[in-house]
Amino acid sequence: MTPNDPTEALDRLRVRANSRADSNASKTRVVLQLDHSSSAVGGGEVLSALMDALPDSAYLVVAGSDGASFQAPKVVVTPPGRATKSFQNVTTLDVSEIVRQVSKGFDEHGDVEPFLGNQHRIALDSAGAVSATDIDEYVLRGGYSGLARALSISPEAVIEEVKESGLRGRGGAYFPAALKWEGARKVEKSPKYLVVNSEEGEPGIFKDRLLMEAVPYRILEGMTIAAYATGVEQAFIYINAEAELSAQRMQNALDQARGAGLLGEGILGTTYSLNVEIRRGAGGYVCGEETTLLNTMEGYRREPRPRPPFPTESGLWAMPTVINNPETLCSVSFILANGADEFKKIGSEAATGTKIVSLSGSVRRAGVVEVPMGTTLRQIVFDIGGGTQDSRDLIGLAVGGPSSGVFPPSMLDTPIAPGQLHEAGVMLGAGGVIALDDRTTIPAVVRSLAAYNADESCGKCTPCREGTPRMVDALDRLIGGKGSSDDIDELLELAEVVGAASLCGLGQAAGGPITSAIHFFKQEMFSLAE
Amino acid sequence: MTTADQKGLRAVLREKFPRDHGQLLPALHFVQHEYRYLPDWAMEVVGWHLGIPASEVYGAATSYTELLTVQPGRHVVQVCTGISCSINGGGNLLESLQSSLGVGLGETTTDGRITLGETACAFMCGVAPAVRLDHDWQGRATVESVNRLLRDIDES
Repeated sequence: MTPNDPTEALDRLRVRANSRADSNASKTRVVLQLDHSSSAVGGGEVLSALMDALPDSAYLVVAGSDGASFQAPKVVVTPPGRATKSFQNVTTLDVSEIVRQVSKGFDEHGDVEPFLGNQHRIALDSAGAVSATDIDEYVLRGGYSGLARALSISPEAVIEEVKESGLRGRGGAYFPAALKWEGARKVEKSPKYLVVNSEEGEPGIFKDRLLMEAVPYRILEGMTIAAYATGVEQAFIYINAEAELSAQRMQNALDQARGAGLLGEGILGTTYSLNVEIRRGAGGYVCGEETTLLNTMEGYRREPRPRPPFPTESGLWAMPTVINNPETLCSVSFILANGADEFKKIGSEAATGTKIVSLSGSVRRAGVVEVPMGTTLRQIVFDIGGGTQDSRDLIGLAVGGPSSGVFPPSMLDTPIAPGQLHEAGVMLGAGGVIALDDRTTIPAVVRSLAAYNADESCGKCTPCREGTPRMVDALDRLIGGKGSSDDIDELLELAEVVGAASLCGLGQAAGGPITSAIHFFKQEMFSLAE
Repeated sequence: MTTADQKGLRAVLREKFPRDHGQLLPALHFVQHEYRYLPDWAMEVVGWHLGIPASEVYGAATSYTELLTVQPGRHVVQVCTGISCSINGGGNLLESLQSSLGVGLGETTTDGRITLGETACAFMCGVAPAVRLDHDWQGRATVESVNRLLRDIDES
């Protein structure tokens, strides 16, 4: 072994982490899942109460969420050598009971709940179980072995491995990740940049925050692998302005990774160096669009740029720039650690790997779930989500966010796939699934999505700026009982024109909610026109 | 050093932000953090420091939904009107707040105490419906819990 073997350097980190963890080996492990969602339902108060009340025989770990929002705040207790017990919807009043159990110990067998049991987790692996603020726990669970392996092979070999895995970008566009890296790598300009796009501004989608707050180190690992493969020495993590806890956890993770030699100069004893900075957005769906994000970072209005040139040729400050979603990067860590073949075993041949879905609306078990590509919407909504609340009538699903559309219950057996799910304008997008019940109507949901698109239109492309409010007007006429079939025609025409004549995805897909509703919910939409 | 006037703010900006176009958003975030919104004069100072025309600073500032160019009330209550929150009772919360505060969306109570706003998503759809008072979100909100929240506002 040479002194600069990255695998050996990681082994040394593991030994160090292990010796630190030893002091807690005889204690009961108490994990509090604290993230932005659980903080909103009393998680912070539970943290204070636990810190005051836990005996010396226990140690407290602050983790992110395991995705089970419906159970938040959650506390998971593991006495040494015993089964794990979880406490759900914990309030400060439950803390004394938790403390009693901690002191007493218990012998229950942990049951695999339907929510977690029906998932396949690679990006979310150990989310909610592992500390969100202590890099040692990630390292001890096999973390950074993907990076160590990447650094021991050539950047080209890393690109090949990821190409072989079939990984596509999880931000919604599903462009092959390795091709993006290769594209930027081949451009003979430097410096090159990498931007982690954690803007996550699509209503109904909350998975990037969960990743940043639960497994920040996995994102950093994937980012470092991507940067190494592309030939990048300066990366930026672009985080939504409102996602304060996400930014704090990422900053803490960055500092620890730097301290452990996993970022900065000479990573894992090699000659590869990477500097990383966090940048904050300032709101707006369109900011997640990658050329808009570049404008934002350079200090301009939130407007998209024409493509080409693509960011891989001319991005940040006109330099080759790779923009990756955190979920994509988490898959990258898995692929390098376990090999492309293991990744390809998940999902189907045409669509490999998993997808994280933000599941909400009228479901009994709402939260963030990770399933193999090809899983059906029915499995997601019913097997994992437990079906509608109070067994109400499911009237449809809003899939993929405001740039996508609505499905009727008859489409529940549609498998999720990268990109388009139906030609009427339904896409997987970044993976939002909102179950709709009889407390709302399809026209109301479509109006809400259309109003959002109109508000968020940046105004650069006239058809989008003028067309999206006119879609809302036509819907309002219909919903208000003053519409006619002309309004349906106008909606379809607007959807087509705005889609064809807009620079970015917001305008291109703004008609999705409308065209899908008119296609699948003829009765509901046309009855408004009578 | 103080940020209370143009001179003071300029000195602070000079210390914190390199004179670089890419520092516009970080600088505007800083100003908003200081004053809770972006006063015209402060945007002008940001422009002076970064070498960006005031018109361009204003243009950029008004294009971002989270940057405020109008002074809000002393407290801001925001109701999430996303689809998941609406289904789970967000609409009722908004109506109840409108009637109890006597203001419409985007308006401030006459005593300047509370501004009522909405947001398209709080990104915590799994604990819907969500309401925010200033910086703190409350999930699984009910009319009662929101009323309690408003009653307990600390005016000190």
